[in-house]
Amino acid sequence: MMSKSKSKKKRTKIKIDYSICGEEGKIDPRDCSLCMRSCDPAVFVMHPTLGTEEKQEDPYDPQDWRITPIWGSLCTRCFKCIEACPEKAITISW
Amino acid sequence: MREYLTEQWMNFEQIYIRKIAGFSSKDLGYKLKMPIIGRILRWSAESMIHNDSKNRNAKNADGHFGQVIPLEDAQLIMSELAAEPIICNYCMCRWMQRKKKEAVCINFGVLSEVIEKLPRFIPKDRTYKIDRETAMEKLEEFNKKGYISSVWFQPVPYINAICSCESPECGGFTLRNNFDLDVMYKAEYIIQLDQDNCQGCKQCVATCQLSAIRFIPSMNRVIIDYDKCFGCGVCRHACQHDALKLIPREDFPGFDGTY
Repeated sequence: MMSKSKSKKKRTKIKIDYSICGEEGKIDPRDCSLCMRSCDPAVFVMHPTLGTEEKQEDPYDPQDWRITPIWGSLCTRCFKCIEACPEKAITISW
Repeated sequence: MREYLTEQWMNFEQIYIRKIAGFSSKDLGYKLKMPIIGRILRWSAESMIHNDSKNRNAKNADGHFGQVIPLEDAQLIMSELAAEPIICNYCMCRWMQRKKKEAVCINFGVLSEVIEKLPRFIPKDRTYKIDRETAMEKLEEFNKKGYISSVWFQPVPYINAICSCESPECGGFTLRNNFDLDVMYKAEYIIQLDQDNCQGCKQCVATCQLSAIRFIPSMNRVIIDYDKCFGCGVCRHACQHDALKLIPREDFPGFDGTY
């Protein structure tokens, strides 16, 4: 049985505004990715956008990328990613 | 096999994002803590990682897990067992988690031919096809730099990669250390400290990726957290006083069989 953590720490919700950063926005995460580099526990993952596999011209070299905060439970709430983001696209709440 | 690996590697970065049986790995830490669903999730993830049946799903990276190996074993595999062609390509974990392109992954056999076709993993400015001797030299170079050698099934029982990992970028270490999923197994060895030889120079502390070594001021020597030690042997390169030695895990009472 998994033990419940004693401090009732609430779930950290990290959100990235994909209208700014990602395949639709003006920033290609492959050019920036400052949030990924600033994060100590490596919460973020950069990946080809889901569902665009058919649209890609060359499936071996996908061009649509976005960043997803994947390991939210490891977030230490240091806000380094918010400071690092040049377009203020990241919000953290809990 | 070739089709399986091609499908797996074409969009490997999506592995955490893609929904598998209704669940993606997003916020996995929270999901695993849910009372009943968490347990089912853990069971299904474990069986996916160790899936050795014929009806595997390439997009789930079924049967993909690895084990830490010390430098000597990695070089043995490279010199005698690895199938040609051998390539040295960019580490995918570091690319997807840090946007770092570091050519530290050594792949061999069919997987090399698959990865060759994926431009984002192939270094353009240098030769990526290497021979056995170069591969062995590279392994030593990475190990001394502080990277942990690990050997990978993809899919089990095919072994076709030796990575040089670091924590927390490596997917294997992340899943193992944070969520206790057996993606990465500990080595067949464990580190042993010769307390008389240790001079308290603390050099080894900085090299341990798993923070298994700690310096104790009052004793002026380091202590080892054997629960955290994966037996990679990277700390040995930092020790000037011959105080750190790898011994077989099975010879270490209390830690035999703890992989």
